[in-house]
Amino acid sequence: MQSLYCEKSTWLHAWPAGLKLLILAAAGSCLFLTDRPAVLLAAAAFSAGGFASLGQAAASARRLALQLLVVASLVAGFHAFMGQAMLGLASAARLVAMALLGVSLTLTTRHTELLAVFEQVLSPLSRAGVRVDRLSLQLALMMRFTEHFFLQWKRLDDAHRVRVGRPGGWRLLAPLTIQMLVAARRVADTLHVRLRD
Amino acid sequence: MLPPSSRSLAPVALFAALLAVFGLIPKIDLPLGVPITLQTLGVMLAGCMLGPKRGLQSLLLFLAAVAVGLPLLSGGRGGLGVFFAPSSGYLLGWPLGALVTGLVMAALPGGTPRRAAASALVASAAGGLLVVHVCGVIGLVRIAGLSWSQAVTGTLVFVPGDLVKCAVCALVVHAVARGLPDWQFGGRATQ
Repeated sequence: MQSLYCEKSTWLHAWPAGLKLLILAAAGSCLFLTDRPAVLLAAAAFSAGGFASLGQAAASARRLALQLLVVASLVAGFHAFMGQAMLGLASAARLVAMALLGVSLTLTTRHTELLAVFEQVLSPLSRAGVRVDRLSLQLALMMRFTEHFFLQWKRLDDAHRVRVGRPGGWRLLAPLTIQMLVAARRVADTLHVRLRD
Repeated sequence: MLPPSSRSLAPVALFAALLAVFGLIPKIDLPLGVPITLQTLGVMLAGCMLGPKRGLQSLLLFLAAVAVGLPLLSGGRGGLGVFFAPSSGYLLGWPLGALVTGLVMAALPGGTPRRAAASALVASAAGGLLVVHVCGVIGLVRIAGLSWSQAVTGTLVFVPGDLVKCAVCALVVHAVARGLPDWQFGGRATQ
């Protein structure tokens, strides 16, 4: 499974991941302090400009941006239908501003860099016994299980087609869950032996 | 956020993966900007199968994977942008929903597969449906700027589909209780 990160270098790639997250958090807080459509439209235009300036990286996320515009239009249209056009405009503008900032950050920051920032931010929790250093291991396990889910589903579906002559669909959910739980138990035992805690 | 024991790593990652798999099944978009997806079934299953603590961890792991840019939400969505969409209340309600589902599942009787399934039906309705929808309504009010009554009316559209997911969750729990009698639903075993 591919990340949304874009390898094509842009001006935003050079900024540290921590700084980008800090700006996103600050922008998120500020944009919720106002309901003035003019301010929020200016913020949306600024975010859209920043996103467009990413060039090819922005082009790779065209589908995401289009989905966002559709959702923003639906929100604005719904409000207009209810007789609150200005509120709809403000909500849609805020949504576009924040979401485009988030998408820009995701496109220009490797997930390993974001993970490192998350681990750093969460590190005080280690005093309470939380193993923050295992976040990367857990993500890797999750990706492996996702792939394994597909393989198991395909096997069960093939077997069902051979027996019955049509796809298994929902009927496969229970046997798939049982098989995956058994697999997870085996992995848990192995990890327990390897990690010894 | 992360499990203290290495034995918890695999089940927590497994249910985060299940949510990712459910995300690959196509979504249906509604006018409020909130899609109907199968992923809430994953929230219910995580709470019922893993219990409150590991269910919560599983959903936090999934959201962390989404936040770092993996396209795991239905429709290939991911990244930090999704946490500012009208549906973000539902998204942030998932961990809380799994926690409450697990707590209710642990509190209700589960001595036989049939009882475990009945408990799962109630637990998934309480956590995966009620709690997630309350969080979703708060998100619609805060982010989409809807009034409380509009947001509540809007979220009711999802309820019939989510009730079907509660029933599917109960059926899966019943099948697992029969196939793996020693599995600890909500933190305790069936007989």
